[in-house]
Amino acid sequence: MAEIEVLNISEGEVGFSDEIMKLGAEELLDCIQCAKCAAACPMVLAGFEFFNKRVIQSILIGQKEILLDDSSIWACQACNRCTEVCPRKVEPFGVIMAMRRSAMKEFALPTLAIEGLKSLYDVGHAVYFSNAGENRKKVGLPEKAPTTANNPQALKELRILMNKSTLSSLGIIPMDAGLTDVTCCEV
Amino acid sequence: MKVGFFVGCNTAFNRPDLEKAFRYVLPILGVDIDDLDGQSCCPTWGTMPSVDEAGWCALGARNFLISEEKNVDMVTVCGSCYGSLAETKNKLDTKPELREKVNEMLKAIGKEYKGSTKIRLATNFFYNEIGIEKIKSALKYTLEGVTVGVQPGCHSLWPSEAYLEGEKDSFHPVMLRELCEALGASAPYYSRVVDCCGMGGMRSTNVEASFKLVKTKLDSMKNEIKADLLVTGCSSCLIQFDTAQAPMKKDKKIDYEIPSIHYVQLLALCLGADPQQVVGLSTTDMSGILGKLKKIN
Repeated sequence: MAEIEVLNISEGEVGFSDEIMKLGAEELLDCIQCAKCAAACPMVLAGFEFFNKRVIQSILIGQKEILLDDSSIWACQACNRCTEVCPRKVEPFGVIMAMRRSAMKEFALPTLAIEGLKSLYDVGHAVYFSNAGENRKKVGLPEKAPTTANNPQALKELRILMNKSTLSSLGIIPMDAGLTDVTCCEV
Repeated sequence: MKVGFFVGCNTAFNRPDLEKAFRYVLPILGVDIDDLDGQSCCPTWGTMPSVDEAGWCALGARNFLISEEKNVDMVTVCGSCYGSLAETKNKLDTKPELREKVNEMLKAIGKEYKGSTKIRLATNFFYNEIGIEKIKSALKYTLEGVTVGVQPGCHSLWPSEAYLEGEKDSFHPVMLRELCEALGASAPYYSRVVDCCGMGGMRSTNVEASFKLVKTKLDSMKNEIKADLLVTGCSSCLIQFDTAQAPMKKDKKIDYEIPSIHYVQLLALCLGADPQQVVGLSTTDMSGILGKLKKIN
């Protein structure tokens, strides 16, 4: 028989629920753990340990470290089945996103998320293949797509906005500090 | 009619054959395309939405503003882009405080979000704006005798309040099935039709867990309706089903392969497009399906 892990919930982090609510999960305390979200969640079907209902429960009892140690929250597909079916309008997907924002502050994020953010800042695309031009030409398209990747003015606008977001204070990716106070768009 | 093409990252840089298919199809159906030059990533879920809500919405709003300035709606073939941008728009249009905060950020680039433009998913756009009859009348080839398993994709379904031209019943979607039937194929219901493909964050976090969802879905499609072809409404789903089957076959998780294609690509083929250009980057074998295209005399 598997050993049962007993949690001492008095060791939970005080104020953790408040932090998550401030990060976007305003209706967190309305959750009654009915599990309708879990019944709809692809993460449950795929076998991830911390799916929507368990993430909410863990937040409510202050188990921040457990959530930071597990990668499950990053497997959430943002499919919003949970939000669609929640009878209490808790928006469980919003709770997962708020938990990710908390993890960002602790630098507890997967390498791929860091790479995605860096790529977003560098070229304006989280998914980018620098050699894509060959395939584009092969199918009869111009080598360069009409996006921030090939439009310096547009890319600068995007970077200015990213510098004005919370990302600029997290130190997760290198950013141009000079863009923080920029209010114009000359390239 | 003119629309702005929100091409997204995966379509522009990973599957430009899908981009080519979209550019082929629309003019034939009487729609002009604006490139929305300067558009960026939507931004996708693992990036700015995971950092802060205002930052997410500011980047999305900047994309909307390109459309607003041109007075066109945005159309995308990517469910993930559609989901992120539709949620952004829903938030900006319903949360005044957030909108104010985002507009404060946008001031730095001399812009303001007004909310006059929409984001639309290609399949919904074809169903609601072009219409089944117009599609049927433009066909050069049909797919009679082909059985299709459809994959509408999560981000065309939920949260339904953000998707203004979505399904009447989001847990029993019919649009993609009817769009495939318009091409002459049969597209029966199967029990896992609304299951997730496992792409995106799940595949990045644990590929084996992600493949469990792929197998569940493919088995359901194969055993219940004997699908000849898998048709998606989303570029992320396309990439998942098109690239996951070879390694799964090698590892003996499946002993079959279902060719996988985006609806826009299938429509392009039925309108007479060059297969090399509109499905030329497919990993799954398209030859069987191409052989079943029947010319209309």
